Amino acid sequence: MAAAEDMLTGLPRLGLGLGLRSTHFETILSGDPQDVWFEAISENFMDSGGRPRAVIRAVAERYRLVLHGVSLSIGSTDPLDFGYLAALKRLAAEVRPAWVSDHLCWTGVNARNSHDLLPMPLTEESLAHVAGRVRQVQDYLERPLILENPSSYVRFAQSTIDEPDFLRALAEETGCGLLLDVNNVYVTCFNAGVDPLAYLDAVPCERVVQMHLAGHQDMGSHLIDTHDRPVRPEVWELFRLAWARTGGASTLLEWDDHIPDFDACLAELRKAERYMAGESTPLVPEGRGAGGEGVSNPVGFIVPRAMDSVLEDAA
Amino acid sequence: MTDLAAAQRLMHEALIFPDADPASAQALFAGDGRLGAAGGLAVYQRGYFLRIAACMREQFPALCHALGRALFDDFVADYIRDCPPERHTLYDLGRRFAGWMEANRPDGAAREPWVDFMIDLARFEYAVFAMFDAEGNEGRPFATADTPDSALRLQPAFALGSYGFPVADYYHAVRRGEEPPLPMPAPSHVALVRTDYIIRTIPLSGTHHAFLAEMLAGHGVEASLGTVAARFGLELESARGSWREAQGSRGRWIEWGFFVGANP
Repeated sequence: MAAAEDMLTGLPRLGLGLGLRSTHFETILSGDPQDVWFEAISENFMDSGGRPRAVIRAVAERYRLVLHGVSLSIGSTDPLDFGYLAALKRLAAEVRPAWVSDHLCWTGVNARNSHDLLPMPLTEESLAHVAGRVRQVQDYLERPLILENPSSYVRFAQSTIDEPDFLRALAEETGCGLLLDVNNVYVTCFNAGVDPLAYLDAVPCERVVQMHLAGHQDMGSHLIDTHDRPVRPEVWELFRLAWARTGGASTLLEWDDHIPDFDACLAELRKAERYMAGESTPLVPEGRGAGGEGVSNPVGFIVPRAMDSVLEDAA
Repeated sequence: MTDLAAAQRLMHEALIFPDADPASAQALFAGDGRLGAAGGLAVYQRGYFLRIAACMREQFPALCHALGRALFDDFVADYIRDCPPERHTLYDLGRRFAGWMEANRPDGAAREPWVDFMIDLARFEYAVFAMFDAEGNEGRPFATADTPDSALRLQPAFALGSYGFPVADYYHAVRRGEEPPLPMPAPSHVALVRTDYIIRTIPLSGTHHAFLAEMLAGHGVEASLGTVAARFGLELESARGSWREAQGSRGRWIEWGFFVGANP
């Protein structure tokens, strides 16, 4: 634990960053370097022998990079997948990320994968289980693991610990760092009918290495974490508070569905500078949204459009 | 089984089989949120299918076009019920799709041609998708016209396929934004080869396919020519000629990046 803890304190403050998405590859690599860092979805690149692997190598040569996973399944009761961890470690050795992160969640069980970030029962049993696995992962990767609070739509009846307290205990027991997704805080708290400011008060901000910003969809009765639109004012306000309390944690905008062009994403990210400077937006109650089929944690962007890379030849 | 394991097993089963035992699944959750236990679980159940269906449409765009999105999504719903995703990578989602379609043909024993076409198209599209991210030879030297036959080896990002329909033609028509009719049955052989991260689909004759299949199995040029000549009743010298002549296969296939040069 001490080793992870020591490494955590040495992690850099990267400023503002964007999720690395395939629709932006060409712009990122062909234009002038921007004052930005990138977060790459580990699973997009770790098994790749094709263009994605070449792209991430090229991006890593020009920009600071972190690796963000969606399939570690740290909370699952299935055995840890050391094949997955080996591929992740190889990728990390290749692109030298500032850190490696994933989610406080499980993605599957019984050797099956839901490809979703499923919520944990927050109990002492879960805490011991996850802490043991975090230690194993940190030992294997030889670096601290950074874990993100997921968005959630249910609370397990057996839960006995609030999520911020669970994260605090986990971090203290293992030396892991935290990725505070302020949009997830807002979505989870809204859906649970609890105060997001109370969540923020309880979360151990000194452990927060990185923050996430994203858009969500208002379904009227509840919110869906769609990552498909601009950040809501209420989330910006949470971000303003969290940024100050974390002492300026590295901050990243996620945009995973209906992804606009690179400049539009960059413009949305740059709005953060106003809140970092202390500008406050009054909390506005959520209005009823347009409805439609919002999907939480969209992953379609992870699957490349192979058809765009195919040519036809006459024999 | 621990409480945690039991809870995870029950919730995961509820994603795959949402109608199997809704009361037990909903009992996992507190009812104090805005969505309640059933509403909250439904977000995960709905998201499970929509998320995977979106990824399957990315892996099988021509098949989705051929079936129409609604029918394609129906196939996907049944597929992931019977074959839930196993691996951490989304790239693996479609690996078993063609086999599952064959085992669950909607025409039963009647074997209607359109079903055969859909299965062939699924096989072809997954091969293309796998080629996109396969280990390749980018950044390393390819064979040249000067590479001796004895050193020619197929490069790693190379694959062969044989189909009962002209699936590559249909795929490219969809790629060009056309509305191609479903094709009539006709045998087709296709090579897939990737250079500079671009995949080329190359139609092959039966003899060319057989020759390349021999090479893919690890045989050299001369042995492969001999096997194909014997199988197709050709004179060996004639086969050698069509391989080496100015407009022959050798020059074109080297130009298209089929081969690397093995160390002597």
